[in-house]
Amino acid sequence: MSFIAVFIWSFLLWLVLTGGSKGLLWSPEELIAGLIFSGVIALTTKDIIGEKASRFLNPAKWVGFVIYAIGPLFWGMVRANLDVAYRVITGKIKPGIVRVPVELENDTQYTILSNSITLTPGTLTVDACPEEKALYVHWINVTEKEPESSKVIAGSFEKWARRLGR
Amino acid sequence: MGLIVKTTARATIPLIGIFGAYVVSHGHLTPGGGFQGGATIAGAGILFLIAFGLGEMKRRYNHHLYSALEGLGGLVFLGAAMLGLGVAFFYNTLWHSGPVFNGQPGTLLSAGYLPVMNLVVGLKVFAGLVSAMVAIAAFRRWKE
Repeated sequence: MSFIAVFIWSFLLWLVLTGGSKGLLWSPEELIAGLIFSGVIALTTKDIIGEKASRFLNPAKWVGFVIYAIGPLFWGMVRANLDVAYRVITGKIKPGIVRVPVELENDTQYTILSNSITLTPGTLTVDACPEEKALYVHWINVTEKEPESSKVIAGSFEKWARRLGR
Repeated sequence: MGLIVKTTARATIPLIGIFGAYVVSHGHLTPGGGFQGGATIAGAGILFLIAFGLGEMKRRYNHHLYSALEGLGGLVFLGAAMLGLGVAFFYNTLWHSGPVFNGQPGTLLSAGYLPVMNLVVGLKVFAGLVSAMVAIAAFRRWKE
């Protein structure tokens, strides 16, 4: 199954790269070359991508990712950018590293949540510790020294990460 | 490396690989070619080495295989150069009267032996760079 996951993942990038080789579509030789190269890549990296990667072949998950990217993530980034611009002008900062307890199960969920926190300015994930179920986040304006959940730092991101990485 | 780097490397190593394959196989159409694409794919190997560590790399890396691949790359390059030896060394006979790789210029299967040479140079560069990085990483200790 992980062979199919890598194959589709790399073939998609090939299609994006070679689009337009015949009008707006793909010429047959490009498609065949793409199949061959994706097959080689999939054979060599099928042990790397992880045995449960095929769960991302579910189209419902792709819709979820798109909704997350243009909805909560984009809105969170806009708000956080404006907030950081305000702090740059006024100089009102209170930096510190806080430990944020999270309720996540697997590596993908930790990665999605950590990257979302790092993408929103003002917060930066320093380390993810799955064994103690916590993230260490560098925060530009610490309002709670020991937060109970990731609500104060990440808003609804943890809920989304749990759903998308399941 | 940490969990985030590892998970991201899992997702991006196939993408780096296919992008390198794209650069190699379109060397006669777009910027790039054998060396650039091979170095890109070697970047995926080095990302694996750094993200997962030398122990994991040693389990996956086969010295004899990479050595053979590098030799094969050089030999096929030489073979493609010898194809038109009836006229001259490096004579592009595939383009002038060959059965394959003589399509309309601008398409993938054109330009005679150039795609073949790009592919094997990419293979050689990839195998060589990854072998060199693993050899450096496996160097026994700082002080002898």
